[in-house]
Amino acid sequence: MTDLLSVEGLTRHFGGIAAVVNLHFRVKEGEIFGIIGPNGAGKTTAFSMIAGSLVPTVGSIRFRDREIGGWPSQRVVHLGICRTHQIPRPFTGMTVYENVEVGMRYGGRRTPPRGSIADEIERILEFTGLSGWGARPAGSLPTGNRKRLELARALATDPVVLLCDEICGGLNPTETADILSLLRRLRDGGITILYIEHDMRAVMRTCDRIMVLNYGEKLAEGTPEEIQDDEGVIEAYLGRRSWMGRAEPIEERP
Amino acid sequence: MTAAPGSRTPTSRTAYAVAALALLAFLAVPLVGITNNAIRLLLTTFLWVTTSLAWNLLGGVTGQVSFGFAVFYGLGAYTAGLSINGGVNPYAAIAAGGAVAAFGSLLIGLPTFRLRGPYFAIATIGVNEAVRIVMSNLEITGGASGLRLLQAGRFSQAEHYYAALGVAALAFLVSWRVMHSTFGLALRAIREDQDAAADVGVHPFRCKLAVHALAACLTGLAGGVFAHYSAYIHPDGVFAFATSTSILLMPVIGGLGTLSGPVIGAAVYSIVQEEMVVNFPQFHLLLYGALLILIMLFEPGGLAGLWRRLARRLRGRNAADPGAGIAAQQQPTGGGS
Ligand SMILES: Nc1ncnc2c1ncn2[C@@H]1O[C@H](COP(=O)(O)OP(=O)(O)OP(=O)(O)O)[C@@H](O)[C@H]1O
Ligand SMILES: [Mg+2]
Repeated sequence: MTDLLSVEGLTRHFGGIAAVVNLHFRVKEGEIFGIIGPNGAGKTTAFSMIAGSLVPTVGSIRFRDREIGGWPSQRVVHLGICRTHQIPRPFTGMTVYENVEVGMRYGGRRTPPRGSIADEIERILEFTGLSGWGARPAGSLPTGNRKRLELARALATDPVVLLCDEICGGLNPTETADILSLLRRLRDGGITILYIEHDMRAVMRTCDRIMVLNYGEKLAEGTPEEIQDDEGVIEAYLGRRSWMGRAEPIEERP
Repeated sequence: MTAAPGSRTPTSRTAYAVAALALLAFLAVPLVGITNNAIRLLLTTFLWVTTSLAWNLLGGVTGQVSFGFAVFYGLGAYTAGLSINGGVNPYAAIAAGGAVAAFGSLLIGLPTFRLRGPYFAIATIGVNEAVRIVMSNLEITGGASGLRLLQAGRFSQAEHYYAALGVAALAFLVSWRVMHSTFGLALRAIREDQDAAADVGVHPFRCKLAVHALAACLTGLAGGVFAHYSAYIHPDGVFAFATSTSILLMPVIGGLGTLSGPVIGAAVYSIVQEEMVVNFPQFHLLLYGALLILIMLFEPGGLAGLWRRLARRLRGRNAADPGAGIAAQQQPTGGGS
C-alpha cells in the first residue's frame, strides 16, 4: 500500500500557543488512521490544517503528489479530502436533505452519483441511518443525528480521504458501535479514514494504526497493540495502566 | 434569520396564478383611467420592490447585511442620467445603469467580502459615505447640486410606469430563479455557516461576489428608471445613507429570505411613506423603529412570517383533520430537483 497523505514538519501557533509542533506522519491508502491524545493536544488543529480550514504556520502536507498545505477548504475538498466537525455544524435553517445536497452538488465529486442526485442523497441518508429525516430542518436534529449528518454531508462530496473528528463523542454505546461499523464499511469500500477519538475501546477496535499526540507533538505511532504497550503513552494518560480496558470514554466530553 | 422552511419546494400552482394575475392587473392599470397620483405611487412601489428583492438576495438569502445599496441605486441613476443627457436611448441608458452598478459591486465586494458579519456591514457604511462624498464633489456630474436630465425623448407617464413594472418583474423572476437553483442552495449554506459550506466545496467568496453583482445590477436598473422618471437626481438623494437604510428596512420588515416578504415590505413602506411623510414628518421613522424592534423580538420572519403563522392557525382551526397541518409542514423538499 502506498502513502496517500504525508505530513512533514507541520506546525501551527495561535499567538503564543504552539497547538501543533513539528508533526510528521504518513497515512496509507485504505486504512483507518486513529489520532488520540488528551484535550488540547492539537488533534483538531492538525485536521483543520489538512482540510484547509487553517493555514499551517510551517510544514508540508502532501496528498498523492501534490502539496496542499495552505489551500482553501473548497479546493482541498475538490481534490477529495473532506472533514467532519467535532461540534456538528449543520446548516440549521435547511433540511437534512438540502444539507447533503450542498455536499453533493458542490463537493466536486470524482465519480458521478449512481442514478439521479436524489437517489444518491437518499442512499447516503439511508447508509448513515437518516432515512426518513430528509425533510426535517437540520436544526431540529438530536445530537446523535447531527453527528450522522456531519458524516452524510461529507460522504456526499465523494471523498478519497475522510477526516472524522470525534464522530462518536457524546453518543451512547449502541450508537457508537453503529458509527464504527459504518467507518469500517467505508474503509472496506476504499475510503481512507483519519479518525480522532477519545473513546479508547472504539479506537483500539477500529483503527489499523494509531498516532498519539500530546502538547502538539507526536508521542507515539503504531498498531493498536504497540500503542497499548507504549510506556510514554501510558504516562501521558496520567499513568493509569488500566485506561485501555475501560468501556467508557477516558475523558468526559462535554 | 432563517428562511421559510421548504423555500425550495416546487412553487404551487396557486402561487403561479397569483403572480400572473397580479402582473396582468398591473399591466392593465394605466389603461383604466386611474389618477396620475396613483400611478406615481405604484411606480415608486415597483422601484422599491426591485431594490427590496435585490437586497434580499444578498442580505436575506446569503446573510450578508449591506448598508451600501444606495451606491448601486446612485450609480444606476447617474449612469442612466448621464447617458440620456448624452443622447443614448433611455432603455439602453437604464441597462447601462445596471451594468455599471454590477461592475461597482465587484470593486466593492473584492475587499469587503474578506470581512465577515458586522465587519462587512460596517465597511459598507464606510463605502457608502465615501462614494456619496466623492459624488458630491465630482464636477462632471454636477457635484452636490445634482444632475438635471434633458427633456428630449422623455417617456410618457405610462411608459415610466411600464419601465418600473418591468424592472420589478425582472427582480421577481431573478429572485425566484436564484432561490430555486443550486446557486441558491450554496447561498443559503453560506448564510447558515460559511466555513462549513467551504468544507463541503462551496466557494463562499465567489458566490458572494456573484450574488452581490446580481443584486447591484437590479438595484442599478431601479436607480436608472428613477433617474429618468424624476428627471433630477442629486447625491444626497440617491447616494444618501438614508436610501441604503430604506432599501435594507423593506425586506427586513417584510420577511428575509422569502419572495413575498420583500414585496410586502416594499409595499408597506411605500404606502407609509405616502401617507405619513406629508402629514406627520418624522413620525414615520418612529413607526419603522417600532416595527423593527417588534419584528426582531417576536417575528424574525417579518410580516410574511406573521401572515404564514396566522394562516396556519386559521387553517388549523377549520381543518377537520388535526394532522393535516403537520403533514403539510413535513412535505419533503428539494426531492424533485
Ligand atoms: N482558533 C484558536 N485560537 C486560539 N487557540 C486555539 C484555537 N484553536 C485551538 N487552539 C488551542 O490550540 C490547542 C489545541 O487545540 P485543539 O482543538 O487542536 O485540541 P484537540 O486535541 O482537538 O482537543 P480536544 O480533544 O479537546 O478536541 C489548545 O490549547 C487550544 O486552546
Ligand atoms: Mg478537538
